[in-house]
Amino acid sequence: MATLKIDNLEKRFGAVAVLRGMSLEIEDGALVSLLGPSGCGKSTLMRIVAGLESPSAGTVAIGDRNVVGMAPEKRNIALMFQSYALFPHMTVSDNVRFPLRMRNAGGRPEQTERATEALAMVQLESFADRFPGQLSGGQQQRVALARAIVSRPDVLMLDEPLSNLDARLREEMQMELIELHRRLRLTTLFVTHDQDEAMSLSDKVVLMREGRIEQEGPPDTLYDRPASAFAADFMGAANIFPATLSGSTLSLGDGALSFAVPADVAAIYCGGAAVLRQEDLVLTDVPEDWDVAVPAKIRTRVFLGGRARYRLTANGLDFLATVAKRDIAQADRGTHLAWRFDAIRFLPR
Amino acid sequence: MGGATAGRPRGFSVAWRRHKEALVLIAPGALVLVLAFLFPVGHILVLGFLGEEGVSLEHYAAFFVDDYYLGVVGRTFRLAFVITACCLLVGFPLAYLAARVGPRARILLILLVILPLMTSVVIRTFGWLVVLGPGGVLSDFLQAIGLTGAPTGLLHTETGIVIAMVQVLLPFMVLTVLGVLQRQSADLEEAARTMGASFWRVLRTVTLPLSVPGIVSGSLIVFALSISSFITPTLVGGVRLPVLAGSIYQAATGSFDWNFAGVQSTLLLLTALAVIIPYASLMRRRTSWQTGAAPGAGHE
Repeated sequence: MATLKIDNLEKRFGAVAVLRGMSLEIEDGALVSLLGPSGCGKSTLMRIVAGLESPSAGTVAIGDRNVVGMAPEKRNIALMFQSYALFPHMTVSDNVRFPLRMRNAGGRPEQTERATEALAMVQLESFADRFPGQLSGGQQQRVALARAIVSRPDVLMLDEPLSNLDARLREEMQMELIELHRRLRLTTLFVTHDQDEAMSLSDKVVLMREGRIEQEGPPDTLYDRPASAFAADFMGAANIFPATLSGSTLSLGDGALSFAVPADVAAIYCGGAAVLRQEDLVLTDVPEDWDVAVPAKIRTRVFLGGRARYRLTANGLDFLATVAKRDIAQADRGTHLAWRFDAIRFLPR
Repeated sequence: MGGATAGRPRGFSVAWRRHKEALVLIAPGALVLVLAFLFPVGHILVLGFLGEEGVSLEHYAAFFVDDYYLGVVGRTFRLAFVITACCLLVGFPLAYLAARVGPRARILLILLVILPLMTSVVIRTFGWLVVLGPGGVLSDFLQAIGLTGAPTGLLHTETGIVIAMVQVLLPFMVLTVLGVLQRQSADLEEAARTMGASFWRVLRTVTLPLSVPGIVSGSLIVFALSISSFITPTLVGGVRLPVLAGSIYQAATGSFDWNFAGVQSTLLLLTALAVIIPYASLMRRRTSWQTGAAPGAGHE
């Protein structure tokens, strides 16, 4: 275990700049997720930390060692590939033992014992003698995880580890990952393009965009206080409107919708857009009960199990609203789209 | 009795029609195979057992009592083993390089390897005669760097045969191994590096074991082509270094002893199979993980 310190990292492939001055510090034992759309440089960053790519400029330090220029096998790290990269010609046990064998950690009996222990952590000890080709995708994923943790690396990196699993398995694995991290306290860097995954798993989310950090912070901060329209959009806020404030009147969507706001809301206005999260909007037929209520027309409703998502038009603006299951019947009768003042967030210009 | 009574059951007539179509489709190929391959090969094999009056083993006896012919068999197989090993030694790194470089460099490397295939084996062998012969390029070079004083060369040596044959057969090894290497995900090698394995260790523990199927097929092709080739060994080796295929040619067209040619052909075939079959089955066992036959599978 160690801290990971990335300083002013740049990477160019020919004329294409993939990383443009990334700086990031991950504390010992923290679980940090790198979140961003594909092509934002998050995988490249991970490959540089692993030593599979070399940076064009900048430094990477694991603990207090600068590892730039160091061969991947000399760094005490583990990288779990999206493809899992299990060795098809080795048994599950030999796969998990491989990092110990390559690092000459103890004798063979000790290595096998530690491999069995790691397999037990992912509930696969009874599959030790199988070959990877005989396992399901979910089982392969857990073998890859066991292999990544078996040597207790200084930095554990997971590249989209859950993306090849179906929804049910994915949620199960999220829980397991959290429990495993709580148990081993490995410094973990987690790459994903899924904001739900990033928020549910990590202590800190680093949102990347075009080779730079767009915003970083605890998951709830990114969720509640996105620093830009990109961050708000990426964190799943669907209702972002250009906003202007004159006196105490707030106008959304170039004047399509105007309403009076109290002084505390006006005080946080910072010149840019306004954001209304989907789950902060309600559909109601008693508009008097709410701070702001606009007559709205439901265009589509999608039932999502525990909740339903509505697409609505109000004053010519398109809204998305998410409603919990117990409120669906009421929402279906709704004539107005409504929200509280404290649901309004602003983005800087 | 309705419409279903039109002679044969419907299912049968469909099966028969499919059968007939298949027969018509394979007939030309099968005919060529029987006339141009099975019949002459069978004939040759039978010839070895035909004496003056009826079935006899006299030609086999003549072969086995003569040290000369046993020497020919020994040389043929020795050469084939060395040629196969050299092709693997030269071909594997080349194939590895071609599999791991960018697409453009790969095309260039592949072209470089298969370009010799575009010319006839006879022409390439004459090329080697010029290079290896006394007063040839190699001889001049050795003299220039002062290694030898007089014109020399590798013509009429087994080393010369090996060099020329490796060049002729290298493409078969490279292309076969390349096919397997390209199907290997580069993730596996990178993953092994992050787990503490050096480049050479990755090669030994991951890349090579996973390439076994390609190495097996490549070696088998090169080996089979080596033991049956006669143009290059005959031209480079000359009359003093005969190989089995050259000796068969000599028996059939030089001394018109077709029975003796039949004996040698049969022995060539049998000894080749005696090497190839165990090798292939041994290697198949070593790659049992591919078929999913795991030791200890079944307990859960």
